[in-house]
Amino acid sequence: MNRFDLLNKVQNILKDNLVICNIGLPSQELYKISDQPNFFYMLGSMGLSSSIGLGLALSQNKHVISIDGDGSVLMNMNTLATIGNRAPSNYTLLIIDNGSYGSTGDQRTFTDEKTSLKDVALGAGCKNVIECYGEETVNELNKAIDDKDNSYVIISKINSGNVKIDPIPLNPITIRDRFRKFIGKVKYL
Amino acid sequence: MKISKKIIDNLKKGGVDFYLSVPCKLLANMIDILENDKDVYYSAVPREEEGMGICAGAYLGNKFPCIMMQNTGIGNSVNAIVSLLQLYQMPVVFLISYRGTPGEPVGAQGGMAKITEDILQTLRIPMLHCSSEKELDKISTFSKHAKVVESPVAILCDFNLMKDDK
Repeated sequence: MNRFDLLNKVQNILKDNLVICNIGLPSQELYKISDQPNFFYMLGSMGLSSSIGLGLALSQNKHVISIDGDGSVLMNMNTLATIGNRAPSNYTLLIIDNGSYGSTGDQRTFTDEKTSLKDVALGAGCKNVIECYGEETVNELNKAIDDKDNSYVIISKINSGNVKIDPIPLNPITIRDRFRKFIGKVKYL
Repeated sequence: MKISKKIIDNLKKGGVDFYLSVPCKLLANMIDILENDKDVYYSAVPREEEGMGICAGAYLGNKFPCIMMQNTGIGNSVNAIVSLLQLYQMPVVFLISYRGTPGEPVGAQGGMAKITEDILQTLRIPMLHCSSEKELDKISTFSKHAKVVESPVAILCDFNLMKDDK
């Protein structure tokens, strides 16, 4: 199972939540599978999906899923400490860990060598850290959302590999405004 | 405490209700005030770039965020500012302790001080430079301006303005 297959499997769960999706192929693949106003596609700022989702979860009550990658978490590893200490229960970080920098040509990351993001997350203070494989992710993600008392970090181990895909044709302000409108607090739209 | 209280009062008057900081000793009084303020959210964060991401999320959730940091933090955050806050036109207030300005005892802070305003200018970020107490009165209007123009804005507080704020 690669990232595209995984996103296909979890798309119905994502549809019912606020989603912050990582830059590059993860966003492009999700857009191709199912474009929704409650999906915020990152067009820049590699590494910050988990952080944007955390700020959003702290600011309103709907459940937030940050879709991140192993390469991106390695770039912003302090995020795990902030999540471990501050994440509210309406927050789930889904790290799609394929051991490679998918968007830049599948170069290996350190999670394909010695680094365990599960161990890092636990050491950083995250309590509910789940490492799972491929299809198991669907169940784990559902459990995380159903648990109204705890936040979760789910590390989904999958194979590397991408599908051929185009950039997202949406303007960033369109992504922003329809997302904020979905949350329901923006009056000018 | 008088200066710090005035800054926070003006930020709150400007609508800012979500605060992060990467601590600085010049920000210590403001952090104390915020930690005891039940009306707003406050947390420390390990790194400024990460804080930019959290502020972006807070804005999406309809908060008006501020990140407090040293001027060195701007250097850590350039890509996040340009390809997140500015790309999606997100208002965020940067409250910056301007280390390396006259009065600063640590010589090594001078390097970032020399280029801080150039970086902000290159990024086209509106700046409010506060070197005396009366300039702090402009903070609330300046913060509201961030929302009107949908842009991050920067408030620079000089070392000498902050250092004796006991």
